Amino acid sequence: MKYVTTIEGKQFEIEVVDDRHIRVGGRLLEVNFETVSGQPVYSLILDGKSYESYVYSGDEDWQVLLRGRQFQVKVEDEREKRLKAAAGGGVAEGGELHLKAPMPGLVVAIPVNEGDEVKKGQVLVILESMKMQNELKSPRDGTISHIKVKAGESVEQKQVLLNLH
Amino acid sequence: MFKKVLVANRGEIAVRIIRACRELGLETVAVFSEADRNALHVRYADEAYLLGAAPSRESYLRADKILDVARRSGADAIHPGYGFLAEREDFASKCADLGITFIGPKPSAIAAMGDKAEARATVIKAGVPVVPGTEDVGNMTNDDLLRIAPTIGFPLLIKATAGGGGKGMREVRSLEEMPALLASARREAESAFGDGNVYLEKLIEGARHIEFQIMADEHGNVIHLGERECSIQRRHQKLVEEAPSPFLDDELRKKMGDVAVKAAQAVNYVNAGTIECLVDKDRNFYFLEMNTRLQVEHPVTELVTGIDIVAEQLRIARGRQLSYTQEQVQFKGHAIECRVNAEDPFNNFIPSTGRITHSIIPTGPGVRVDTGVYPGFEITPYYDPMIAKLIVWGETRAQAILRMRRALEEYRIVGVRTNIPFHQTLMDSHRFMAGQFDTRFVEERFSMETASELDEAQAEIAAILATLVAHKETERSAQIVRGNERDTSNWKWVGRWERMHR
Repeated sequence: MKYVTTIEGKQFEIEVVDDRHIRVGGRLLEVNFETVSGQPVYSLILDGKSYESYVYSGDEDWQVLLRGRQFQVKVEDEREKRLKAAAGGGVAEGGELHLKAPMPGLVVAIPVNEGDEVKKGQVLVILESMKMQNELKSPRDGTISHIKVKAGESVEQKQVLLNLH
Repeated sequence: MFKKVLVANRGEIAVRIIRACRELGLETVAVFSEADRNALHVRYADEAYLLGAAPSRESYLRADKILDVARRSGADAIHPGYGFLAEREDFASKCADLGITFIGPKPSAIAAMGDKAEARATVIKAGVPVVPGTEDVGNMTNDDLLRIAPTIGFPLLIKATAGGGGKGMREVRSLEEMPALLASARREAESAFGDGNVYLEKLIEGARHIEFQIMADEHGNVIHLGERECSIQRRHQKLVEEAPSPFLDDELRKKMGDVAVKAAQAVNYVNAGTIECLVDKDRNFYFLEMNTRLQVEHPVTELVTGIDIVAEQLRIARGRQLSYTQEQVQFKGHAIECRVNAEDPFNNFIPSTGRITHSIIPTGPGVRVDTGVYPGFEITPYYDPMIAKLIVWGETRAQAILRMRRALEEYRIVGVRTNIPFHQTLMDSHRFMAGQFDTRFVEERFSMETASELDEAQAEIAAILATLVAHKETERSAQIVRGNERDTSNWKWVGRWERMHR
């Protein structure tokens, strides 16, 4: 299977030939690839050179943590890439924005009310987590359409706190 | 002389204290919250008692419940560790009333140093230099503070009177922004310490944070164990500490050490404590505050002096003399500590919670790891995000940095994101290597994006890794879809298949 893999705009053409071989930009390399006890830590021996890395799957891409450096990696198989090119890119920006909790914690205060006009950078929610108070700011100008949590409430990560129109 | 020590804390520091007690043949009693039933300190102690629900104010901050456990278990001493009840004068007094040895200073010393404004007044009298700021002790209103602020001059800092750890601290650049910052500082101080009092201090720019470890016994002996450089901070939270400081020479070290001893003597200090100072570019130093407890970063001092500070604390609390005179304290080599926090350095250091599924702790020459977690342990949002301290020793600072790099690369923690990549980037930074940094370094002149261009060879390896993982996932899902006997409908399988490719 052939893949086109992109890091910071740079493309790598990688073909998985079989269990033991890959082809990178025309070079055939011997590969020995294992997960370390089934974790997102992977051990790779590539033509005798040994690497170890964390590979996490993100929403749309992969995050590879290698020697203290994190890479955002997009992996597409050739067919997928062709389909996408045919469909044409670009997603329209939605009018409504959901402010989500970036971490689990306790809502300390919500210094805005429903219907308030807010400016970009204005504090919308104060969330306490791991003994620190974090101010969640508005990513853009808008109107608070709906507040879904109350002060004193515990929230989970990615829970929607309020809607901004 | 006490025989059974209750450790009124959790995490790595509770483990650290239990270890010292074990070595000295003292029995140990752990206390725990509902979130910590499986924590290491519970498993290592001789006895363990449940305090209450996970939030600190229902468990580790419940002095009444902790004292009740002491009574029930027959513990005749309490070690408070750091944080929680460690700097609460009322708790230390209650211990004394019940005939329980509080392993730390006298309540009067905690009170004198715990109230930051009173501490300033006390050390000024002893001839110790302090940062210019509000001198009035007690509750100042916002109006008072707003009136005084221009006389101190901007930029300045709002600090919590009962403070510590950067909580309730705000930097003010102008009078206009001060009212809002006062409100948020008071709110944070109120929630962290139950005391919303604040005071003002001039902000010294380009300053280093250097602190001295003090040891004092009940017989009037006070010594210092040298300094720790703690300038690598983010949002006033220390991230890296080292000893000795690359900024001090023997002359300044002696001068500051003498002043630190004097400050401790000013409050008749007993047991382990730390004098925190700011040192400006011109090597002027100012007393900042005294922490009347064991510090998180005490291991770097232990590694360069060879002195077990916790064991020494226990000795002192038993009424013995210090094991060392000032002349006997010798420094050897260099030590660095990295605080490993459950925070994502690539995502604005957002706290990360979850279950640690896998962990490989670095070992080998000159490496020490103090931690309270292990695979299977859950990192919850209830407590601070520090999960381990990685400490290394080297003959020179350069060797210590190389060793730290090696140890950081070996460290594997899976299940939560950690700030290990931050430490790796820091250890590679030329400014850190050259010792050129101040307390603003991390926030103002440091970036996780390495200055150099994309390393193509490394990027290629990363690309191969991601591709192989993606390929594995595709193969796995393809096999499942091809399977004959499905336990759910084909439509569901198609849905799952498609989700894999989103």
